[in-house]
Amino acid sequence: MKTEKAVQHTLRQLRAEMTSTLYSRRTQKIKKHVLGQNFIDGWLAKIGMLLLLTIIAFLYLKPMIYMISTSLKSLEDLIDPVVGFIPRSANWQNFADAWRGLVYPEAFGDTLLLASIGSILQVASCSLTGYALARLQFPGKNLIFFFVIVTFLIPPQLTIVPLYQIYHELQLLNTPYVIFIPAALSQGVRGALFIIIFRQFFLSQPKALEEAAKIDGASIFRLYIRIMLPLAGAACLVVFLFSFIWYWNMYYEATLFLSKDFSPLSIRLQSFEAMLIGNQALNFSPEGPSDPVSEGPRMAAAFMIILPPLIVYMFAQRWFTEGIERTGMVE
Amino acid sequence: MNESWERSKGYLLFKWKEYGVGYLFVLPWMIGFAAFVAFPIGWSLYNSFHKIGITAEGFQYTWVGLDNYRRMLFENNAYPIMLVQYFMETIMIIPLILIFSFLVALLLNQKFPGRMLMRTVFFLPVIFATGQVITELFVQGAGELPFLEDYNIEQLSEQLFNETVGTAVINVLGKAVIILWYSGVQILIFIAGFQTIPKTLYEAIRVDGASPWESFWKITFPGMIPFMGLNAVYTIVDMFTFPFNPILEAVSRNMFAPTTGYGYASAMAWLYFLLVLVLIGISLGISFRAAKGGGRS
Repeated sequence: MKTEKAVQHTLRQLRAEMTSTLYSRRTQKIKKHVLGQNFIDGWLAKIGMLLLLTIIAFLYLKPMIYMISTSLKSLEDLIDPVVGFIPRSANWQNFADAWRGLVYPEAFGDTLLLASIGSILQVASCSLTGYALARLQFPGKNLIFFFVIVTFLIPPQLTIVPLYQIYHELQLLNTPYVIFIPAALSQGVRGALFIIIFRQFFLSQPKALEEAAKIDGASIFRLYIRIMLPLAGAACLVVFLFSFIWYWNMYYEATLFLSKDFSPLSIRLQSFEAMLIGNQALNFSPEGPSDPVSEGPRMAAAFMIILPPLIVYMFAQRWFTEGIERTGMVE
Repeated sequence: MNESWERSKGYLLFKWKEYGVGYLFVLPWMIGFAAFVAFPIGWSLYNSFHKIGITAEGFQYTWVGLDNYRRMLFENNAYPIMLVQYFMETIMIIPLILIFSFLVALLLNQKFPGRMLMRTVFFLPVIFATGQVITELFVQGAGELPFLEDYNIEQLSEQLFNETVGTAVINVLGKAVIILWYSGVQILIFIAGFQTIPKTLYEAIRVDGASPWESFWKITFPGMIPFMGLNAVYTIVDMFTFPFNPILEAVSRNMFAPTTGYGYASAMAWLYFLLVLVLIGISLGISFRAAKGGGRS
């Protein structure tokens, strides 16, 4: 009898223990989900992170939102302090003014020509150099790679004066060739960076393909055009996109080399601005052009300039954000 | 004897063919380098020691020695002040961008819904950061941090620092948002850098009982030091064409000014270049030191 009682007792104890552990398991599970195994991967931390990122992202994008909202405001809305970010009614007059002021169709064509041909030339020339630095053997290769990096570190301020003199002598100023010729010789905008990207990409490719092609008797040029370049499609696209954006946004070189006749959008914005301020010479303030009369059209013009690269980014954003990782620039 | 000579000649010819192809591939780069980098640099150095007049026949060079530099440093002392101011700002901007991009990259590296969207957002400014557009936004005061005026930071910094440093602080804070716009590429480099640390290392340290905080300082941070150096250099290079870089404007303004001209502008550019080199050297040196020290401990 005694033993039976003892057994029952232990059984009861066991059951109590089990329910308590089960219960605590459930709370533990919830706790694990909310707080995470070590805090970092729990819901709480994730929500906090998302919140933090959203706040930073909002701060980050505020100037952009400001630009869009101002470009849609009429003069009354701009002066009225009650009107915040959202205008009373969308006003497209600013865009019409900016369209005329920038000579948009012509300027757009010029910029597009500049950016697309410049980028294609850069892809062609930088991939050639990158391939040679990755795969071909010749004395002085490391020295050349060293100089490629050096060109990346040289500020454009240093070479801009002699380049201006050179282009002036060759009568190339205000023609698109000031962009195309350096691009074709892999010295365009951030050409060194693109050479490094291509070099890293070709280094990561297996050697077997080239060896096979060589044994089959293909020359290096054929091998390069038929096999290596198609293989490097992803790298080519990444370089093309970055180069396109940087040429589109190019400003400093353009102010000196392309100030007249053939000028990209960024230069036209400058002259459009000068025109607007010139019209209101009377209320010009020393603090700079921040009068509300011209603010709307200027913001509209700025928005129209960044719209095309924004559309490109929308369709190709995967290539931009993954491009740097994929091509393995970071080694 | 003769045969071996023939053989080595053949070998040399073969080698030469191989080398020749390599040189052929880098030929465009070499021409470009000579024409658009090496030659302009040499010419700009030559320029900086001359006074250049423009006559009907072309440029006219007069040797003036170091006179351009002397005038720049001692007579018109606006430029050295501008340089000091700008470098102070740059030195503040670099850690700002590095810390910001590191934190954002750290957050973006975690797994949570909407991560790709956030990545897109933080890379967005790289797309539209045109010089003119940014200046435009800055003039409208859109780049300020919203709490600057509320807390009267301007007066505070004037009290804390002397005048030059105070102005630099205000300049940087006044366009803080726009400066942070220049961290898109750096964020991506950091994210790519995180992938280079093997996951097994984190697992091992967790088994050993380290908290995430410890594993961050013991593994993530030391592993990221080389990328910090890379990003610092990238930031310096990015600052060359930063729209608020006053050197850009100063050089092009003095190119066409009647009293100064090309020679003086070249001298200005050279001084700037030397300072940039020092800055790059320092940041590479620090990151190299730090990486080495981390390896030893």
